[in-house]
Amino acid sequence: METKVKIENLSKHFSDPQRGLVKAVDNVSLEAFSGEIFGLLGPNGAGKTTTLRMMATLMRPDSGSISIAGYDTVSEPQKVRRSIGYLSSTTALYPRLSPREIISYFAQLNDYPSTELVTRVEKLISHFGIQDYADTYSEKLSTGMKQLTSIARTVVHDPPVLILDEPSTGLDVIVAQKIHHHIFELKNEGKTIIFSSHNMGEVEKLCDRIGIINKGKLLAAGTPDELREISKKHYMEDVFVFFVREYEKEIGYEKKEAACI
Amino acid sequence: MKTLVIIFLKDLLRNKMLGLMVLLVPLIFYPLIYWGITQFMLLRTAFSENTVITVKYHSETSEFGDLKDSLSAINNLIIEPGFFKQADTDNIYLTVRSQQGLPYFEVYVDSSNSSLLSMSAQIEKSLSKYYRSSVDRIVKENDYTPEYFQVYNIEMNDTEGDESVVVILKILSLLVPLFSIMSILGSCVAASVELASGHSEDKTSETTLTLPVERKVIMISKFISVSIYGILAGSLNFIFLTVFMMQIFRSFMGIIDQGIEGIGWSKIISFNTLFFSFVSLCLTAFFISLIFVTAAGFASKRKEGSVLVSPFMAAVTYIPLVIVIPALEPGILISAVPVLNVAFAMKLIISGDINTLFIIQTAIFSFLWTFTAYRYILPFLLDEEVLMGYSDTSLAKKIKGKLFKWKLK
Ligand SMILES: Nc1ncnc2c1ncn2[C@@H]1O[C@H](COP(=O)(O)OP(=O)(O)OP(=O)(O)O)[C@@H](O)[C@H]1O
Ligand SMILES: [Mg+2]
Repeated sequence: METKVKIENLSKHFSDPQRGLVKAVDNVSLEAFSGEIFGLLGPNGAGKTTTLRMMATLMRPDSGSISIAGYDTVSEPQKVRRSIGYLSSTTALYPRLSPREIISYFAQLNDYPSTELVTRVEKLISHFGIQDYADTYSEKLSTGMKQLTSIARTVVHDPPVLILDEPSTGLDVIVAQKIHHHIFELKNEGKTIIFSSHNMGEVEKLCDRIGIINKGKLLAAGTPDELREISKKHYMEDVFVFFVREYEKEIGYEKKEAACI
Repeated sequence: MKTLVIIFLKDLLRNKMLGLMVLLVPLIFYPLIYWGITQFMLLRTAFSENTVITVKYHSETSEFGDLKDSLSAINNLIIEPGFFKQADTDNIYLTVRSQQGLPYFEVYVDSSNSSLLSMSAQIEKSLSKYYRSSVDRIVKENDYTPEYFQVYNIEMNDTEGDESVVVILKILSLLVPLFSIMSILGSCVAASVELASGHSEDKTSETTLTLPVERKVIMISKFISVSIYGILAGSLNFIFLTVFMMQIFRSFMGIIDQGIEGIGWSKIISFNTLFFSFVSLCLTAFFISLIFVTAAGFASKRKEGSVLVSPFMAAVTYIPLVIVIPALEPGILISAVPVLNVAFAMKLIISGDINTLFIIQTAIFSFLWTFTAYRYILPFLLDEEVLMGYSDTSLAKKIKGKLFKWKLK
């Protein structure tokens, strides 16, 4: 399997007037391969979005490096942007453009060959089941419709790596299932998919490998079975809680040590 | 770039609230302008009715001795001897000659003085009445056929030439650029807040920024979209306003009894005027969009965007409002002030007073300003924190953050 995403010692800090220095991402290293779904699992404020934003070249890391499809996000951002499709945590559609317009403009902006553009757009529209509302302004669509449109927009240029920030949060079970189905399909096409979630069930169902992240630290990474083995727990929820507890214990030790000295 | 501009413009043009706001500006302003001008004109006519005016009277013949009596029936009129030598803005001149036993009048009046103008209208009436009675007398005495006589024998001379046209042009050249620029300002502000702060708020900026398109291109597309929006609004306003003002002047010049049939549209709307006005509208729109997109770029919410933009708005409107109105002389200082210089150049061009030096200066300074903005403001804007409205939202918080970082060190 080919390594598509490689993150090494990635850190990002924010200075916040109220909270002081926030270590949003703290020395995170991970890898993802082609044809794999990698899930970043973590509670609110864990640093998932920040990690994904840095991968998507939206933010510059304070230290560490990210390479996507062999390109470095800082020194070759344009090449990275060509290789990714990024779905932000809000649907982020232009409110007064229709799904059809949005999908085809994004194909153009990603330099999709113009001769095949119309066929591609129509294919995606029918594939994602958007036909019925393809010409309605997106501000009038429901959250589920918007999310399906957003995903179609994200994959329109057929990128090898997909970065999806909470793709099924806030959706009902039926739309969420549809989206899971599409994510599986994309995996079978050989794409690398990295997505974030705080839903244990979803992560367990979809992911080949999982990274558990809390307070900016990557606590563990591996296949669901590997994680179960280490923690000796069966349910993903318990696995997650186990690693978070472990981490807090570690910090506790550190604090004690510091107190001794 | 083209695709981005299309996306941004479509999103802007389909924004009904925004459109309504842009259309509302003329809807509120035009009646105000109309009311203002009406009041102004009425005041002037009322004023002129109470002013005492002197007619310098000169007669080349001993006939028509009773003419003076019939003239003195007019209120507020003093008749003194004297004859026309040179242009005079305070008095009306009347010379009477005899032509085959009938009176021939020459009247000299400066039409830019509206009191004189309205008085001269009364004098004209009285003179034509006198002329007709003279004709009647001769016809009766000699049994002539009345059809042989001219109906009118008054020669009106406007000592200021085309002055009434000049007055109209002066007002037009002041109001049209002023309001066009105001409407560009209004629409550019609304559009900038939408495209800069709104896109951060909706996170659509995240999707554009992950495209394989250079960030500079994204920013410039925003500037261009906002400018085009502003130009559309400005041109609409420009056209409506010109037509509207022409209508007003038509009707008012009628009231003051001074036909403006002589003023063709061609005198006011020539190709040059339109071309230069359009170019200056474009320049203004682009410059304003630079300022406002930059300001709004620092906010990640529409509300904050409007707050950030308002001081710039005030500054930029203040300049044309306060300084253009008391007609300044064009000079190098004015040509150095962005927005104001273009407003001023437009004013000069519309009033037909083409000051090449000033226009060149304006062009040079506009270019310099645009270059400075491009060179020094754009890179600052391209800073990731600003682009995304990251870390903290408003500028104030941002400065606090910087101070904090500095303290940490
Ligand atoms: N622009 C920013 N400025 C300051 N702090 C930030 C910024 N972005 C994120 N943070 C902080 O970094 C930490 C991680 O945030 P992040 O958005 O990555 O979390 P997340 O895992 O995506 O959470 P959620 O599940 O709520 O989306 C949080 O404490 C957050 O407050
Ligand atoms: Mg998040």
